Amino acid sequence: MLKSIITKELKIIVREKGNFFFLIGMPILFIVLFGSIFGNTNNTFTIPYIDQDQSDASKAFIEQLGEISGFEVEKVDMEEQQQVEQIKAGKVSSLLVIPKHFEEKLTSGKTQAAIKFYRDPTAIQIVTPIQAVLENITNHYREQKLSTALTSVGLNDKETDLIMLPPINIEEINTSTQKVDAITQYVPGYTVMFVFFIMITMVRRFFKERESGMLARMQSTPLKPIVYLIGMWIPALISVLIQCIVLLAFGYFVYGLDLGNLLAISIIVICLAICGTGLGLAMAVCVTGENQGLALTQVFTLGGAVLAGLWFPFEMLPSFAQAIGHFTPQYWAQTGLQDVMVHEANVGGVWPGLLVLLGYGVLGMFIALVRFKHFIKTAIS
Amino acid sequence: MEMVLDILHLKKKFGKKTALEDISFSVKAGTCFGLLGPNGAGKSTTMKILTGIVEADNGSVNVLGMNTKENQLTIKQKIGYVPQSITLYEDLTAFDNLVFFGQMFGVKGKSLNERINQVLKQTGLLDRSKDKVKEYSGGMKRRINIAAALLHNPKILILDEPTVGIDPQSRNHIFDMIRTLKEEGVTIIYSTHYMEEVEVLCDDIAIIDNGRIITQGNLKELLEIHGNKAIYIESNQIEKLRTLVNISKITSKDEGWLIESQEPMALLQELLKASTEHNIELLALEMVRPTLESVFLSLTGTSLRD
Repeated sequence: MLKSIITKELKIIVREKGNFFFLIGMPILFIVLFGSIFGNTNNTFTIPYIDQDQSDASKAFIEQLGEISGFEVEKVDMEEQQQVEQIKAGKVSSLLVIPKHFEEKLTSGKTQAAIKFYRDPTAIQIVTPIQAVLENITNHYREQKLSTALTSVGLNDKETDLIMLPPINIEEINTSTQKVDAITQYVPGYTVMFVFFIMITMVRRFFKERESGMLARMQSTPLKPIVYLIGMWIPALISVLIQCIVLLAFGYFVYGLDLGNLLAISIIVICLAICGTGLGLAMAVCVTGENQGLALTQVFTLGGAVLAGLWFPFEMLPSFAQAIGHFTPQYWAQTGLQDVMVHEANVGGVWPGLLVLLGYGVLGMFIALVRFKHFIKTAIS
Repeated sequence: MEMVLDILHLKKKFGKKTALEDISFSVKAGTCFGLLGPNGAGKSTTMKILTGIVEADNGSVNVLGMNTKENQLTIKQKIGYVPQSITLYEDLTAFDNLVFFGQMFGVKGKSLNERINQVLKQTGLLDRSKDKVKEYSGGMKRRINIAAALLHNPKILILDEPTVGIDPQSRNHIFDMIRTLKEEGVTIIYSTHYMEEVEVLCDDIAIIDNGRIITQGNLKELLEIHGNKAIYIESNQIEKLRTLVNISKITSKDEGWLIESQEPMALLQELLKASTEHNIELLALEMVRPTLESVFLSLTGTSLRD
């Protein structure tokens, strides 16, 4: 009997085209869309400049700026005032002006050479890195001046270098050899998010069985309610497993996403599928109507996606949101998948997340078991 | 004759609403038993209790000598239930639906395929078995709805208003199916609010109203006991006839008159004699068969169709 229900249910799910769109088409669309937008982001900051001095020193300054990774300089072919008006109008965010006599003042050693930096106060994200780079170059000039002064008082190069050596050295260590980009965020993110859309399919199927009288008719057969419930659950579980395989394979083949330890990924996907379908079962037999189920699923999937950091890195969330996010199954699924894909974790490294996912799934099934009798009652009265 | 079904004092409430007040009846093996009553009388609830879908608050149901509370699974294997609504998977083919329902009753493999072929032949839909149910007409769906309850060779077939909203051709097909099943020894329990169907199909009936059985027994005997006997007459000189023949109750009907009598044959002869002797022209004169409608009317004071 169980096999009959599973076969029947799979046939129905496969024949309902909308299921493919919701479970596979939509997430692929989102991955492609967001992957294209954020995956190819040009992170180079442009520094517009006017060189009024046209000296060797001013040219060297501009050249130094342009050589810094992530920054490029752009000569402005208009008057300083005109460009300032452009900033006021919000059309450009900054302007670097090297005034006349820059070289003269710089080499004199007596006066301070000035550089004007106009900035749009609202464009903090763009202007702040440019400001930091300018300060860095200014410091570099100061170090050069200091070094020259030390040499002039009789210190040799070795002694000067020792004095000029920064007291603190920052050693940059990358914790992962894997490529980390938008795809490592969006492929697992949208996979996890859309897994929970199975709840809509499950709510729909249960209500269709109820409204059509099929559930009541099943009560006239020797079929046991628990067998019926399992028979309705397994096809949903299989659908989610196929969904995850397709989406992760899409990331692997189309975007070259490194999946990491396949055993660990497989176990996370199984636990995630149990979690999503377990909660789906609970939702299907607890809600009073199809529309209520639809609304609650959307709140759960979209709210969970935000709080679990499925759309953007979890660390970017405010601390209170992060605290709430830890209670969502989506967070544990996403963290687990990313740990395996990016941080080369294995099953042992993600077991707490697996337990949380299984816990949610088992809880959902338990609620469904308790509540199913009432659901049948509403079907036959 | 052996009883296959004994129902005693069934009571059922849904919340504050009483669906069944006190239902008792028995069904003989191999007969067609009609449960007749208006919509909302309690027919479907009774049917659902018989099939184990709904649990009664009080009373007992014995099927084939077994109490339903103690032998639910065994009894379910012996009963085929056809619900009032068409309960099929519309996106699946008729064949797939039948496979599913057969397997629900534990019928498998070769024997299931054989049974599916048999019931499809009975329904006259063998050549359409690979079509999706949603492509069927209402009548065809009704036939498959019945076929789904036959795959496990039930001893008792319970049909809850199986002909609602279908064309006469499909209705006749369903009637033929029921007659064939009865000939094969299947006991039929047929619920309907169409009295004509009961008159055509059933041996015994129970009339149900407001959750109570108001009468039950052999169809012919009930018609004899409770049905109004009458003569239908059409004449332009009815007033003259009334002075010649003792007529106690006369009502207009269609183009003529309906004269009720406990002795319709004698009245018929009297009317013929009087009209011949006094040269009264009769446009129509016929005996009216008692109907279940008149039985229901005489017992409840309301029409079944109301």
